[in-house]
Order: sequence, then C-alpha cells, then structure tokens
Amino acid sequence: MVIELKSVSKTYNPGLFKKKVKAVNGLSFDVRQGEVFGLIGPNGAGKSTTIRMLLGLIRPDKGAIHVHGKPLRQSPIQREVGYLPENPYLYDHLTLLELLSFCGQTSGLSAARIKARGEELMSKLNLLDAQKRPLRTFSKGMLQRAGICFALLHDPSMVILDEPMSGLDPIGRKMVFDLVMELKQQGKTVFFCSHILNDVERLCDRIGLVDQGRMIREFKRQDFLQSIGKAAFIHTSELSQGQLDRVQSLGGSIRKEAGGHLLAIPNDKYYLVNNFLEESKIEILGCRSEWRSLEDLFMLTVKEQIQ
Amino acid sequence: MKSVFALAVITFKEGIRNRALFGIGLLALFLFGLNVTVAGFFMREIGKVTVDMNLSAISLAGLLLVFFVGVNLMAKDIDRKTIHLVLSKPISRAQYVWGKYLGILFFVTMSLMLLLIFSCMTVLLLLKIYPDYFLGFSWSIFLVACFFILVKFWVLTAIIVFFSSLTTSSLITLIFSLSSYIAGVTIEEVVFYLRSELAAQEKIISESLKNFIDVISYVLPNFSVFDFTLEAAHGLNIASQRLLVSFGYGVIYSTILLLIASFVFSRREFN
Amino acid sequence: MTKFLPIPILCFALVLYALISQSVWVQREQVRKSIPAGYIIPSKFSRILSVGHQGLLSDFLFLKTATFIGGRSNEQQLMSDSDWTYVVRSLDVVTDLDPYFLDPYMLAEGLLAWDAQMPGEANKLLSKGVKFRHWDWRLPFFIGFNNFYFLRDYDTASGFIMQASQLPGSPTYLATLGARLAYYGGKSKTALLFLKEMLAETDDALLKNRLQIRLLALERAVIIEEALDRYKLREGRTPETLDDLVVAGDLSGLPPDPYGGRWFIAKNGRIFSTSKFAFAKPQGKE
Repeated sequence: MVIELKSVSKTYNPGLFKKKVKAVNGLSFDVRQGEVFGLIGPNGAGKSTTIRMLLGLIRPDKGAIHVHGKPLRQSPIQREVGYLPENPYLYDHLTLLELLSFCGQTSGLSAARIKARGEELMSKLNLLDAQKRPLRTFSKGMLQRAGICFALLHDPSMVILDEPMSGLDPIGRKMVFDLVMELKQQGKTVFFCSHILNDVERLCDRIGLVDQGRMIREFKRQDFLQSIGKAAFIHTSELSQGQLDRVQSLGGSIRKEAGGHLLAIPNDKYYLVNNFLEESKIEILGCRSEWRSLEDLFMLTVKEQIQ
Repeated sequence: MKSVFALAVITFKEGIRNRALFGIGLLALFLFGLNVTVAGFFMREIGKVTVDMNLSAISLAGLLLVFFVGVNLMAKDIDRKTIHLVLSKPISRAQYVWGKYLGILFFVTMSLMLLLIFSCMTVLLLLKIYPDYFLGFSWSIFLVACFFILVKFWVLTAIIVFFSSLTTSSLITLIFSLSSYIAGVTIEEVVFYLRSELAAQEKIISESLKNFIDVISYVLPNFSVFDFTLEAAHGLNIASQRLLVSFGYGVIYSTILLLIASFVFSRREFN
Repeated sequence: MTKFLPIPILCFALVLYALISQSVWVQREQVRKSIPAGYIIPSKFSRILSVGHQGLLSDFLFLKTATFIGGRSNEQQLMSDSDWTYVVRSLDVVTDLDPYFLDPYMLAEGLLAWDAQMPGEANKLLSKGVKFRHWDWRLPFFIGFNNFYFLRDYDTASGFIMQASQLPGSPTYLATLGARLAYYGGKSKTALLFLKEMLAETDDALLKNRLQIRLLALERAVIIEEALDRYKLREGRTPETLDDLVVAGDLSGLPPDPYGGRWFIAKNGRIFSTSKFAFAKPQGKE
C-alpha cells in the first residue's frame, strides 16, 4: 500500500457569515503500489481537496493519511511524487526550459540530467519547438502538456494528476492517454481524477466514486468486462436459472439488466450461445456496445445518494 | 540551499521581464532629465539639488518597482495557485519564503543598479556643466547614500513578503506594506515631535501613552536610519559606527520578519 | 454620411481647444498676480509630510519662494508685509528641512536684511546656518554686517566678524575689520568697505543691482559726511542745512540720493536720507 486514507474529514470555513462547507467527510481508501487509481465523482465531491491533502497543501481535520505506512506529516510525499494540477497556472514570463530547470533543481537533479530528461519529455509531448518561448504564449493544451513535463521530469515513482485531459483536443488527449499507459507499464503508481469516464474506464485498475466527501463505491477492473477480450453483449428477456447455468457453461457471463438479463458472449463462443438461445426461443431485446458503462454506474450511484 | 536559490532565480526572471519595468525606467529617466533642467534654477547649491533629486528619483523608482512588481511576485503565486505546483516539489514553506524574498531582492537590486548608472551619468553631466557649484560633493558619500536606499528596500521587501505570507489578497498586502512604508519614513519625526511636545508641556503623561509611543517606535521600522541624503547633498562625513548600526538594523529587522513569515507560512493552508 | 461625422467634430473641437486654452493661460496669469503668497505648513509637519524626502522638499520650497519673489519683481509689484512674512516663514521651513542649504541663507541676507528691512529675521535664519554650516565664514559675516549696518549693535557685530575671521577661507582683513568695528563703529567708511565685500560675494543679478544702488547712496553719503567733517573742523559747529556745505565750498554740489529722498543731518551728526535707503513702498497694498 502506497497511500492510505482513513476516515479523513475536512471542513472549510469560508467566512464569518457563511456556512461551513464539509468538503471531505470520513473518506477512506487506499492506493496500491503500481496501480492506476481513478477518483471520480460529481463536482464538489471533494476530489481536489483530497489531492491537496495528499500534497500537504491543507491538513485534514480528522482522520489519518499514511504513506508507505508512515504518517504523511512525517514523510511528505513531495520527493517521489509528480503533480499536475487542474488548469495549471504557470509563470507568465518564464520559458518552458527555465520552468523545467527549476523543477529539476528543486528535485535535486543535475543539470545534465535535467537537460536530457527535459528533451525526452518535450519531444514526447511535442513541445520542443516551444521550449524557449515564454509560457504566456502557450495555448491551453500546450500549458497542460508543459504541466505534464513538469510533473514527470524527475521520473517520480508516483504521479498525481488532477483532470489531466481537461482542455485538450483529441490529439492531446491521446497523448496523455498513451503517457499514462506507458507509466503504468513502467510500474509507476498513478492517482488521477477525471470527469472523462471513458478514459477512466480504460486506464484504471481501480476506481473510487466519491460524492459529498465520502467514498460511495469502489470498482475493480473486473466490473468492466468490455476490456476483457472481444465480446458481444446481448440483452435478453428474463432467463430461468437453468438457462443462466447453461449460458455460463458455454462461456458467457450474465448480469441482471432492466427487463431481463445482459449476456456477455466471447466472440469465439458466439455461435454456440446463439444456437442455444435460438433453440430455447429466448426473446432478444437488443444489444449493447459494452458490458456496463461506468457512466451508467456513476449516474445510478449518484441518484441513489440523492435519495 | 539549492531549492531556495532556484526559486529565487525564477522569481528574479519573472520580475525583470515584467513590462512595468519599462514604464518605471522611463519615469526615472524623465526625473533625471528634469534634474539636469531644474538644477540651473538654483543660486549656488546645484550639487545639493542634484543629489536630492537623484536620490529621490532612485527611491521613488524603487518604491514603484517594489509595490507594483515585487508585491505581485509573491501574491500572484498564491492568487493563481501556481504555488500549488511549487509546493508539490520538495521545498519547505520556509524555503519558499526565503526563495521568494531573495528573488525579489535580486530583482530590486539589479533594477536599482541600472538606475544608479543613469543617475551617475546625470551627476557627471551636471558636474561638467556647473563644476563650481559642486563644492561639497563627494562620490563616496553619494554612493553610500545609494547603497542605503537599497538597504531600505531590502527591509521593505521583507515587509512585503511578511504580509504576503499572512493575507490572501494582493491588494491587502499592498495597502499594509505601503502603510508600513509611510509609517516607517515618518515615525522618527512623529516620535521626536511627540516627545518634545510632552516634555515642553510638562504635563503628567500617563505611563501607558509613553509606553505606547515606545512600543510603536520599536515595532515599526525606522526608515530614517537609512536616509543619508543630507550627508550626500552637502558632502558631510558619516561616522562608520552609524553605517554599521544602520546596516545591522536593516539586516536584523528583515531577518526577524522573514522568520516570522516562515513560521506563519508553515501553518497556512492553500485551497 | 455618419461615417464622416467624427472627423469634422474633431476638427471643431481642436479649434475650440486652441481658443479656450489661450484664455485659460491668460486667466491663470491674472489669477496668479492677484493671489496672496500662500500658506506655509509649519516645519514640524513639513518634515513629516515629506515622507523621507526632506531634501527634495527643501529644494522645491526654496524654488517656490524664489519664483514668488521673482514673479513680484517681474510684474513690478512691490512686496507687501504679508509677502515678506511668507518669505520669512518659508525660508524658515526650508532651513528646518535642510539646515545646510546655502541658498536660503543667501536669499535671507540679500532680501530680508535689505529690501524687507527685516535684519532681525535675517539674523535669526542666519544663526541657524552658523550652527550647521560651521565651516562657512560668510554666514557669521552676514550677521556681523547686519548688526553693524542695520541694527547699530557694534559689539555684537564685532563678535561675529571675529568669529568669521577664524573660519577657513575668510578674507585676511576680517580680523582687522572686526577690531576696527569695535573701535570705530559709527563711521560710514566702515560700511562702505563691508558693502564692497558683499558685492564681491554676490552672483545674483538682482541682489547685485540692489547692492550697487546702496553702494552709490552710501558713497554719496560719505562724500557729504566728509564735507561735514571738514566744515565742523573749520567752523567748530554743525551747519544748519546741507546747502551751507555747498555755500561754504566744502561740497561742490549735493549729489542726489538714488532712492529719491532728501539728505539731512541726523541728531548724532551723521548723514541720512528721507528715503531711508529704500524705494518707497506703495500705500495700502497687501
């Protein structure tokens, strides 16, 4: 376990006559070594606050945060972490090179290493042409990418990304996506918040859904079978237990869906299962593009919370 | 420490590339030009007037630099949340405070050095035009006076960093720092005036009022201690003890402010 | 049509501006002539209000005062009593802000002692200068002169002249002059010597002019005094009128007083003029 949060709470006091805001309310979760953990939730759920507590920018009122088993206060994570904030505001008049130089110097890298690593990242993120330009001339997408360079310059073992895809065009998003995949393959721990559920689905090993400062549900990769090989998803009417067993023995997976069942049939077993369905004269209600979308779960969970 | 220095460097670069510098530089040049024009209106003491105007121009330019650029170098960091990024690196809060301070310091020092060069050119020009009227003038005392204007700004920068670490708004920092400056340049006059008034009237003054005046005179910085304009204007010698005391006062006062600022900053939360 | 409207409007506005700005400047000139000198903030507050720039404020105030005097002179207006009070207070503040500043002391001596006939005020200011500009022989010299010439306090004058004589750069004759003063106090010849020295020290054209007129008046007074002395020596008494001197042949003709007054013999036997060696002040002008 790299990071562990136990019943963390944080209340903001916005002012004399304004009501206190409970940003985080008994939040608990953990992030394991080498995994990609995604934090999702509606706006105001406390995601950014959580990240700020991890970085030591704010202190939790209650609860504890542990890093590698030790309390956060005793072992701040700055040395091994790379952070990308949402909408990074960088120094207007500095050039990208100077910014990265600062980044490297504070991390204790040698000038040669800063140069090498900087060039590597800048070429990967297509910023080499702009390296000597002042940051105020950068477009939003370029700023985001510059922020990523900043976060990764010192080759941290853990990366915290707050809305890394925000404001990027499709090319930029693909760039970031590939980068996170690469980090994952390198065995780095990645912790990120995002609103773009599609990317979260594809990248994360585990996903935490927070709302109103609490962890509502944690999802594992297995809950999203669409990435397990190729499969067809058929929506059928209600099946009997015997029919369910038969389908499963043929290699399909089943779950309950409104008005019946949803079958996930691996492509190579399709004809077998289809024959069974035809023989049993089971009614086909339709088909789906995915097993279960995160979006569905998201909406469902949030609706439940409101009730 | 490397982090402190790295932060100081980027703060300095950020400051020196600010467009406001052009405006302030132009203003200073204008004042120097004014000096050359106006000097001839005086009967005899052209040297004194030249020194007065030059030192005031440098001081004014420094004030503008510190209040319009210096304040923002730290306040903007916090306003725009750039500080989140900086603090995500292994740099402590105290190191941040010192790094910012040194960066603004380098910036002010470099800018004033540049202005000093122009100032010296103005003085040289006037020396050439009116050599007989610079009787009391001494380059060494003039440069000492310039140096202590710089020391004054080292203390003022510490005040700005101090207030920046306390408040969230750059406007509040500006107002408090400006008030501190005005208080600092007038405190000596006020305190001595009050003391003489009280002594003259021979009233039975309450102890608390006396104590209040004393406390104020210790808490607020006394900027008059860095003012050697009179000596520079008339070429009067300055005792080395005075120079040492002034310098020491500046260094110690700044250090105290920065230590408090570091402590306050460590306790602070950033949303 | 509407596209072209801004341009003629602009032209029209520019013409109006040219006209009105002319009348603005004319009006301001008239206003400035009529305004009184103005209020002086007392030194204690001036020091505080200068926010650390005492030197600059002293320069500015001095310039303002000098310009004011120059303005009155250009307009050929004479300085009223309140004008002079302003000048005294202003110079006082200037020297409080920077007591080493030479120009106000020179102005004080040149104008306050002579034109304003306020030698006491001049001396008050100059004594500040003596305290701070302790190396400058001219300031005690001026005080000495004022005491001798205007205040007739020969002992005090002598003291100051002696003080001046001991400072570096002072003329070599000052010591003898000081001694002479103590002994010969009342003679015009002594005053002449003084005046000539003063003239040599001045660069200011205005002051030079005044001093030269005064010198002329004094030289003529001396001529008459010497004639008077010759008469007294011969006749054993003072003449009834000055014309007697001409009649008796001691004086070829009565030289006119450049200030436009009439010469007369004072009670102590010296020659004075009804003009009191000053140009007449206008009546009722404040």
